[in-house]
Amino acid sequence: MITKTAWKNVWRSKVRSLVVISSVAVGIFAGVFSVAVMEGAMAQRLDDALNDELSHIQIANKNFRANNDLACFMENTDEMKQKIMTLDEVRSVSDRIIVVGMANSATKSSGVQINGINPDEEKHVLELDRKLKPGTGNYLDKSGRSNMAYIGEDLAKELNIIRYSVTKEVIDSLRVRDVPQKVINKLEPSLEVRFKNEKAFNRELKKVISKEEETKYGYIIKEESQTYRENSRMLLTFIDKDNYQTGAVFRIAGLFDIPNKMFESSQVFVLKDDLQRLTGLSDGEEHIITIRLKDVSSTRVVTDKLKEMFPEMEVLNWREIQPDLAMMEELAGIMYGMFMGIILAALAFGIVNTMLMVVLERTKELGMLAAIGMNRKKIFRMIMSESVFLSLVGGVFGMIFSKIVITLTAKHGINFSGYKEGFEAMGYSAHIYPHIGNDFFVIVTFLIIITGILSAIYPALKALKLDPADALRTE
Amino acid sequence: MLSGLINYTYSTLAIMKSYKMAWRNLWRNRRRTIITVASVFFAVFFALIMRSIQLGTYDYMFKNMIESYSGYIQVQNEEFWEDRIVDNAIEFPGEIRKKMLEIPNVKEIIPRFESFALASSGSRTKGVMVMGIDPEKEKLLSDVQRKLIKYRLSDNAVEELKKEDIPEDVKKNLELFKGFTYASDRTICIELGIKERDSGLVMPMIRKHALVENGYIEIGKPGALVGDRLATYLGLSKGDSIVLISQGYHGVSAAGIYQVEGILHLPAPDIDSRIVYLPVDICQELYSAPGLLTSVVLHIDKNDDTSIDQTLSSLDSKLDEPYRVLGWKEMNETIVNQMDADNKSGMIMIGILYLVIAFGVFGTVLMMTAERRREFGVLVSIGMQKTKLAAVMVYEMIFIGLLGILAGIAVALPSIIYGYYHPIRFSSNMARMWEDYGFEPVMAFMWIDKYFLWQSVVVGIIVIVAVLYPVRKIIKLKEVNALKA
Repeated sequence: MITKTAWKNVWRSKVRSLVVISSVAVGIFAGVFSVAVMEGAMAQRLDDALNDELSHIQIANKNFRANNDLACFMENTDEMKQKIMTLDEVRSVSDRIIVVGMANSATKSSGVQINGINPDEEKHVLELDRKLKPGTGNYLDKSGRSNMAYIGEDLAKELNIIRYSVTKEVIDSLRVRDVPQKVINKLEPSLEVRFKNEKAFNRELKKVISKEEETKYGYIIKEESQTYRENSRMLLTFIDKDNYQTGAVFRIAGLFDIPNKMFESSQVFVLKDDLQRLTGLSDGEEHIITIRLKDVSSTRVVTDKLKEMFPEMEVLNWREIQPDLAMMEELAGIMYGMFMGIILAALAFGIVNTMLMVVLERTKELGMLAAIGMNRKKIFRMIMSESVFLSLVGGVFGMIFSKIVITLTAKHGINFSGYKEGFEAMGYSAHIYPHIGNDFFVIVTFLIIITGILSAIYPALKALKLDPADALRTE
Repeated sequence: MLSGLINYTYSTLAIMKSYKMAWRNLWRNRRRTIITVASVFFAVFFALIMRSIQLGTYDYMFKNMIESYSGYIQVQNEEFWEDRIVDNAIEFPGEIRKKMLEIPNVKEIIPRFESFALASSGSRTKGVMVMGIDPEKEKLLSDVQRKLIKYRLSDNAVEELKKEDIPEDVKKNLELFKGFTYASDRTICIELGIKERDSGLVMPMIRKHALVENGYIEIGKPGALVGDRLATYLGLSKGDSIVLISQGYHGVSAAGIYQVEGILHLPAPDIDSRIVYLPVDICQELYSAPGLLTSVVLHIDKNDDTSIDQTLSSLDSKLDEPYRVLGWKEMNETIVNQMDADNKSGMIMIGILYLVIAFGVFGTVLMMTAERRREFGVLVSIGMQKTKLAAVMVYEMIFIGLLGILAGIAVALPSIIYGYYHPIRFSSNMARMWEDYGFEPVMAFMWIDKYFLWQSVVVGIIVIVAVLYPVRKIIKLKEVNALKA
């Protein structure tokens, strides 16, 4: 009965209620959608980190991580792997040799970490094989040619292995990708000119097209204009087992393309056999065992089991290897809560004002209700409910609207192409697919109800203080 | 009697200024005014603090980047920026230097020879950035000497210090900052929370246990300065040798062994973990490129945006190919891009906040108009001009906006001023996360600047939009209907 009255009361002053409701709707929509964008970006980063870079658990010699020293390898890794596979939670394992060295092309060089892998095992632990940039070759193949390397697109750019030129075919594909003819015409003068790297090409682009055109189409033009010769060569140099400088020429099997540019420019993957031959390490002497679990949630349990199994080794899970990722995951919830909290606090001002108004303009009516015997508890509840209705109706509209927009944008993602460079330098993709779990909506609903209640306290207390006799006499 | 009252009201209305009436009107419903002002205050306060931290932190990071590495303006070989290899080093003959120094804002030319090498010590190896500098001139810009570490809180030093008689909270902080290094007394005092009155007592102990000896490099004398994180990685300390292997000018092989003269702590982790400084002539010798430089950094007098733009354009007009002039924004594109993205996201957040507040203000206006409809009717019937009535309304809203802004500024200002002089330094996990992204874990505040003005502009717009509704109502008011309300 009281709730029904409260609901009817809400609609007595339609315009005023609608202003409050729409303010709550807009605030909640903006908040939830922003959170979904942030969450989408973070979830993607986490997925990428686990699928491309870290996997779930890694085991290494106790001294390896601190020193990155070739001599800090583990022995009998085959036996270790078999033991690990006996655990039910483990899906797959793989081992690697890791050396730090330099990658040199004819004109440039760059410091890298060289990973000697067994591609057949690695495919089940990480997804890098699926991140092959189309048209750049293949993933490593154990039965294929020796001395092949799988490197990141960014490293290829750094080593001037990827070059740029606008050819007739590039122009055609730009047309297909809806780049306006006006922009394409501006590229005519640089037709068939070869640029040795991205910076040189950037400079040329800046000269011929305007800033807006660059932010809009720059990345498409750059993407299409890349030229890359399969099987380009580079020289890898490093120190071998006996501390001698060694190295060999590797041909590039293919390029991988992931959002994390740091990883892309610093990691080189080669066949383990090749690296064993060059460093003098033998079978069973490896630096890192990477473990993929069937389910991420069992990470902690399995880490503990492995620590017990190999007390003399360093067993680290992804949370320990990259504490920033773990912390990001933990702090994200708090951050979203704070974000919504600030918005709701701002909304509360509007609600308090409206409810206060409600009480003041109904002084006489409230007095009457009290005089005919409605008890104070009921009056209090009525005002509370009215406030909760106001905020909840707005909140529900806001949430429905944000859910719709999130679903729509999640289909194709939102591309912040203008900030690609900055995002990717931190390992984030600039193409974000907004996403938020349903539990977040439940939490937001609770927060809205709490906001409604808190905002009504002051006005409701005001109503309780009314003396029925005085209240009845007011105009 | 009624006519007397009307007469009285009429005469007061005629005399009383609109703004005075507006001010009195505000306090007729004190609570509502206060709540509305509070909502504006809330938004302004939050926006100011957030903007101050964001802008201040960018400023701090840029200054760090610029002053520890790139400088505000560099002149390089055209090819070098695109292809940072030794082969693209060039000469900077006297006449070119003279041309640069002719520009009033340019005070000094600081030579640099930058390249990459594989550094090793013992069996550990790492790709590093080798920077040949003029140790004396460099003091004008990145002041490498002042970044040499003075104290290191090694495990050992922390243990020893804990045994000494020092305040308990300092001991607790020692544990937290274990492994950290400091280049000055000031920073170590801030981080360990050593109060001024205690410093006379505590600093000698710290000097006794944590002091690090460091030398410096000079032109003509082989020797290297190594970044703190790199030194830790390679296990180097003063007096050890570091081997550098690389490719020299036109493919000549380059290798050298240098004694470490000092360890320095650079704020940007990304640079700190891979930098080796050599005297510029020693570096030229290593790469077999005598007399060549990869770039020169200009030491400038005024570093605000306009002066830099001016200097850049006059340099551009004076120098021909193959010399290329670069400003700091162009040199630090990635970080500028990151900060830009962060800046926009902060602006969106504040935008949402203001949007919500705008609704609240509009709601208040709506209520004010509705409840005073009859009053408006009376006033207009007894002869008050509608324009004047509208003006009163406008004044009321302006007052609300103004009070909100002033209150917001009044409360935010002390925190901003305090924060400006005492930047917040993160520790432990939070610091690690920031450092992993390549930022120094510091949150700084921006001094009073344009962003204060922007908050006022936004509130102004909200007020204007909100006041349109009652003004329209008043203009279209039908006295007869209004009186019946």
